[in-house]
Amino acid sequence: MQSRHIAYETEELGEDPTLTLGPRPGLRIRTKLLLLLLSLLTIPYMGYNSVRTMEKFLLEGQMEALKLTSQGIATLLRDRENLFSEQIGAPEFLLPFERFPNELFSAISFEASIVEWSQMLTEIVDYTGGPFFECDLSYVPNSFSVRYGAGVHDNLFYFLFQVIDNILVFRDSSRLSLDHNDQLRLTVEQQDGSTSRYLLTAAEEGRMSVYEMKANWRHTTTGEPIRELVAEIVSSERGYGVKIKALSAFIGQARRITFDVVDVDDSASREIERIISTSPDPSEYQLGRVRLISPELSRLIEPLYLSASRITIWDRDFKLRAETGTIVPDDYDTYLAFSTEAVGWNGFIKKSQKIADRILRSPLIDAAEYPEDSSREDQRFLKQIFETGTSMAERRRYGDVRVIAAGHPVWLEDEVIGSILIKQSGNKILSLQSDTLRRFILLFLGVFLFLTLTIVFFAFRLTYRVTHLQRETKHAATPEGRLRKTYIRSGSRTADEIGDLSRTISQMLKNLSQYTQYLERLPNTLSHEMHNPLNVVNSSLQNLERSHQELRSNEYLGRARNGIVRLQNILTSLTEAGSLKDGLESETEQMENFNLVTLAAGCTQGYQSSNPSYRFIFEIPGYSIYVDGSPDHIAQMLDKLVDNAVAFGEADGEIVVKVWKDGRTAHLSVVNSGSRLPADIANRLFDPMVSSSKDARRSHLGLGLYIVRIIAEFHGGAVTANNRESSNGVEVTITLPLSSKL
Amino acid sequence: MIKTIAIVEDDFDQRENYADVLVANGYEVQRYGSKDEALEGFRKSLPDLALLDVMLGKDMDGGFDLCLSLRNQSQTLPVIFLTARDSDADRISSQRMLAWDYINKPVNLEFLVARVHSLLQIAEHLEQPEDNNSMHTVGDLELDQRGMSVRWNQDAVNLTLTEFWIVEALARRPGHVKNYESLNEVTRQGLVERNTINGYIRRIRNKFRAVDSVFNQIETVHGTGYKWSRD
Repeated sequence: MQSRHIAYETEELGEDPTLTLGPRPGLRIRTKLLLLLLSLLTIPYMGYNSVRTMEKFLLEGQMEALKLTSQGIATLLRDRENLFSEQIGAPEFLLPFERFPNELFSAISFEASIVEWSQMLTEIVDYTGGPFFECDLSYVPNSFSVRYGAGVHDNLFYFLFQVIDNILVFRDSSRLSLDHNDQLRLTVEQQDGSTSRYLLTAAEEGRMSVYEMKANWRHTTTGEPIRELVAEIVSSERGYGVKIKALSAFIGQARRITFDVVDVDDSASREIERIISTSPDPSEYQLGRVRLISPELSRLIEPLYLSASRITIWDRDFKLRAETGTIVPDDYDTYLAFSTEAVGWNGFIKKSQKIADRILRSPLIDAAEYPEDSSREDQRFLKQIFETGTSMAERRRYGDVRVIAAGHPVWLEDEVIGSILIKQSGNKILSLQSDTLRRFILLFLGVFLFLTLTIVFFAFRLTYRVTHLQRETKHAATPEGRLRKTYIRSGSRTADEIGDLSRTISQMLKNLSQYTQYLERLPNTLSHEMHNPLNVVNSSLQNLERSHQELRSNEYLGRARNGIVRLQNILTSLTEAGSLKDGLESETEQMENFNLVTLAAGCTQGYQSSNPSYRFIFEIPGYSIYVDGSPDHIAQMLDKLVDNAVAFGEADGEIVVKVWKDGRTAHLSVVNSGSRLPADIANRLFDPMVSSSKDARRSHLGLGLYIVRIIAEFHGGAVTANNRESSNGVEVTITLPLSSKL
Repeated sequence: MIKTIAIVEDDFDQRENYADVLVANGYEVQRYGSKDEALEGFRKSLPDLALLDVMLGKDMDGGFDLCLSLRNQSQTLPVIFLTARDSDADRISSQRMLAWDYINKPVNLEFLVARVHSLLQIAEHLEQPEDNNSMHTVGDLELDQRGMSVRWNQDAVNLTLTEFWIVEALARRPGHVKNYESLNEVTRQGLVERNTINGYIRRIRNKFRAVDSVFNQIETVHGTGYKWSRD
């Protein structure tokens, strides 16, 4: 109904017909503001980024500081040849670079089994398939592999080799050459650069023969067996094991030793098929490492304490000459104390910190996570320093661990004789960073929460105000477009845009109401203006009649009189509505309590006689229906209803006047038989100047039903018009509230 | 003696039409087109009766001003308002200024002459008081038909000519219903809507209630008319 009406209006005003009124799907202000709030989440991202940048700067700074420190130490050691003297003491370890032999708690009996040896040596390293593996394409995976362990106790070195070899080929005693069987080769590189090669071979299980060999590994140098080193070969299910015991004096001064396990599988051709070496990749690692602690150097750097850092000094042969400090932060335990149980608020803080740590991947990782062995990187780093002769610094990452390394060469005149290497944990800075991040995040969460609450409150308040305004505006006019009030109270006292909107709407309503009032007064003004000329015509006609008695029966004069009467009727009905409103306003003080049934009965008596061509049927109950109001106006209303029913009813049709009550409501209805309600005006039937009459000789300004509505509404009632269901015709029903006095 | 009637009407056509019919009926007529002209004329000589339009040119209430001025000169001079304005406020104003009648346009000239005649007679009668022959009593109501005066419980009720005629018509036969058609004739105004009759009755009741707050002598017969209740 509403949309029909509005559609009509928009057509008239020529507005955009595609404009739809009423709610539309889409985001509401509240949702939009909350979405906007999400953009705040970029702040922690930015914060995170800036903290990261800060971290980078800090690490950079730390690196520079370390570099300077190493430079300082190097300067301290400059041109002091004696510090790097080789004669200072016995090298503590030899063997491949990565691995120092374990210090054993006790000596191992040479007679002990392979299993016992492997248990004693505890750490057995697998060399299978590593980068040191030399073989040809015929190699069957896992057909040959070496496990190797080493230990040192007192002045004895212990080595154990467990070799998996599908075919064990012993030495053929009849042949002179020694390189045609499964064998172990030992290369000892001496401090002076000379190299000794020893071959360990056996014709059968048990003690192995050891010969010093020439570089081609084919011929012995002297042929004399070596005594300082004893070895035994024991065959096993999948291969063989070799136990080696050597005096430290035999290889102790060596700068590097290498074991090669040589595999021969074909007992007929006796070709060497593969070699596995304990030496690091020869192309990458020129030298092994020996730890040769020089007491004087140690004494020098001992007092150099640097937090969470390890200072080491190396000579050109990659021998460790002095060391101090540890890379694991010393205050680590303090940090760890966080994890101890705490209750209450502190507990909550701790827990939230722990959660934050987890989210931020706290750098305070366990000491065990620090890399045990970083010799590869160290060696590469040292090598660079030795080669370039300049100080260097770099950052490293081992999982969560950050290490900063800096080094500086130590000069002896114009020759690099060693290098300082300082490694420091970068995790302190990281922990600082995470602490900052954590604080930042807590702060951000607080701010975010506060902003969220503020914005949510604001959004709800805004929505509430707009909704309120919208509702009030909606109710300011009836669906038919009649104004209920001329102002909007909602938001009118605020200074913001909603207040402006509210005031604008109020102003608009006021203008509209003035315009409506003007329109309502128009009939009165019009009728007043027309009364004077009408009076001229009327009085002139009457004078004409009087002065010319012979014209009394003149038909034209008669028609003129008719015309005047019709005009007068029109003017009367035009003013009727207006004066009725005034009349009703003065009536409010004189409301009567009266019986609607009696009134209707009285009124109906006259209808039949004044409208003889219609059949009137009165359905009036035996009981009384009391209502409060102005009986004169109710009667007037009934007159209008009957007039209307007569005007639009077919001749000889029946007109039913009914009165009844149900509940707290009195009903008064007039039914005619005749044409149905025209659909185009059905909604506006009770508006002024709406009529479906096309009869030129009868004036229907469409004010009758408007008057009906005014009177019904004045009495707190309503009027509806409906087409009859059973037959053609219209039923107009008035509802009035019953009197509260009974 | 020829009676003089003043016509104050800004519309020449209407004024001349009124004048013609009154002259034809043997009255002398003074014609005025504006308030100032009329005031000037009234200073020279007072008419026996005045027909006033309320709106005179741009002067919205010129007729009311004239009425007041006439009242100052004579308490008994009959004044008839002839106007297109039909609001209760205007009627009440006219009443306050002791106008004797208030007629809406268009005016039936025949009825106008009759009114003028009646009012002149009443005015004449007022100058020769205590003629008891014309007194008519119904219960507590006293009607002086010739003097157009009404008393209720000895208190004077100030009615216009039309109202007087209605009260007279109702009170003449108590208990008898006067329907709208016959009341229409009584008002001598030509065709009158029921609403207009209802308006007259309402104003009459109000005037009686002003002297007797429980006045309830005029009964409504809904849809038909009114009656003067029998005691």
